[in-house]
Amino acid sequence: MSFRVGSTVLIDFSGNAVQSYNFNTKRILGKLRQVLKFLDAYEVDEIHVIVPYKGKNNNRSLQIFSDLSNISISTPLGIGGGITMENIEIIAQDPFFERCIFNSAIFYDTQLLKKVKSLMGHQSLVASMPFIIKNNDLMVYNSMDDNFKLIKKEVWKEINNNFNEIILLDAASEGSKGGFNFKVFDYIEFPNDRVLISGGLTKSDIRKAKNMDLAGVSIDNFALHSEYSIKGLR
Amino acid sequence: MISLINIIDVGLGNIRSIEHWIGRSNLDCKRVFKIEDFTNNAIIIPGVASAGEYMHRLVDLGLDREIIRRSNQGQKIIGICLGFQILTNYSEEDGGIECLGIIKGSANYLDNNIIHNGWDSFYFDIRELQNNFYRKRKKIVAGRVYFNHELRVNIECDSYSKKLVNNITSFAIKDNIFGFQFHPEKSQRTGQELLELII
Repeated sequence: MSFRVGSTVLIDFSGNAVQSYNFNTKRILGKLRQVLKFLDAYEVDEIHVIVPYKGKNNNRSLQIFSDLSNISISTPLGIGGGITMENIEIIAQDPFFERCIFNSAIFYDTQLLKKVKSLMGHQSLVASMPFIIKNNDLMVYNSMDDNFKLIKKEVWKEINNNFNEIILLDAASEGSKGGFNFKVFDYIEFPNDRVLISGGLTKSDIRKAKNMDLAGVSIDNFALHSEYSIKGLR
Repeated sequence: MISLINIIDVGLGNIRSIEHWIGRSNLDCKRVFKIEDFTNNAIIIPGVASAGEYMHRLVDLGLDREIIRRSNQGQKIIGICLGFQILTNYSEEDGGIECLGIIKGSANYLDNNIIHNGWDSFYFDIRELQNNFYRKRKKIVAGRVYFNHELRVNIECDSYSKKLVNNITSFAIKDNIFGFQFHPEKSQRTGQELLELII
């Protein structure tokens, strides 16, 4: 099984692809359709499309996903941000994607995860875990609270049961080439070959990820700017 | 006039991705919601669903028996990922579920609870098929294909099949039945060439 080099695309509520720096500042990159077409042409291994929202979702995600469904691309797609118990039946009814990516459901909503498993299969479930390491503790972002929360040991058992893979996003280095904080692996209890990493990745980080037998990496800004050759990184 | 390719639609599976895949090759398709909707062209059973719920809906709509009947009459059936797994007699998913039994075998969880996600190499020479009734200029598709699954198909009958190094059946062909464990609709150029070879 080959090491995967995927790409994450964030979408704002107007349906634009945006670039994120330091998990905060957003800059518009262009129309989502064009960005996805570029990534498809680059033959990235997979694309994660995320609607980053904070607090309760107003169902705007549903509209964005609906618009997205008309884009014909041949690259595996995962979507996330705003998938709820209220809209999952609609989203799963006619998917144009293969995987669902969850963040706040990690903390709160095992019922939603069970529902997705019954509709789309366990292989479709991915956890998005933006993290920081603070005072020697691993803190994971929870979009519902818009806050980083301490991950308790017992939560890892649930994460192992509920998710096929996880994406660890280094929030402190996001949008930079500052280097991914591999210290996170001292804290997580999840098989390496089911982990993708993202945020601040340098070429040597990607080599290290390969050597650690991680599932892959998700690069964002640099893939979109063609600063890295996708084939060269595999 | 060439009839439309059938895509089974029970409200599950990445049907839209399959439509895009077919559309990119300038072929036409339709969704099949009920028995009366079928044409005589290939029938595609999509992936991205769980076996329990998918089989439940197929049976409820009576599509299971119709797919079996049409497969017995020689109509081409293409199962993708879950669609491949449910072509067998039984799947371990969702606590165990009886499936279509079009290909003798079963779908079982991968050993040691491992998963299989990502890209693997693919090679298919259509001239290797025994009953090769294909008259295509292109004979070989080679490249890489995308997998995302936790169960594998174990075939218990004669078929043309290819396995990966970890004993996962990548694809199997038995007469008019095609099963792909990977997602050709999301396998970029290789998936597109494969569609044009087998349709």
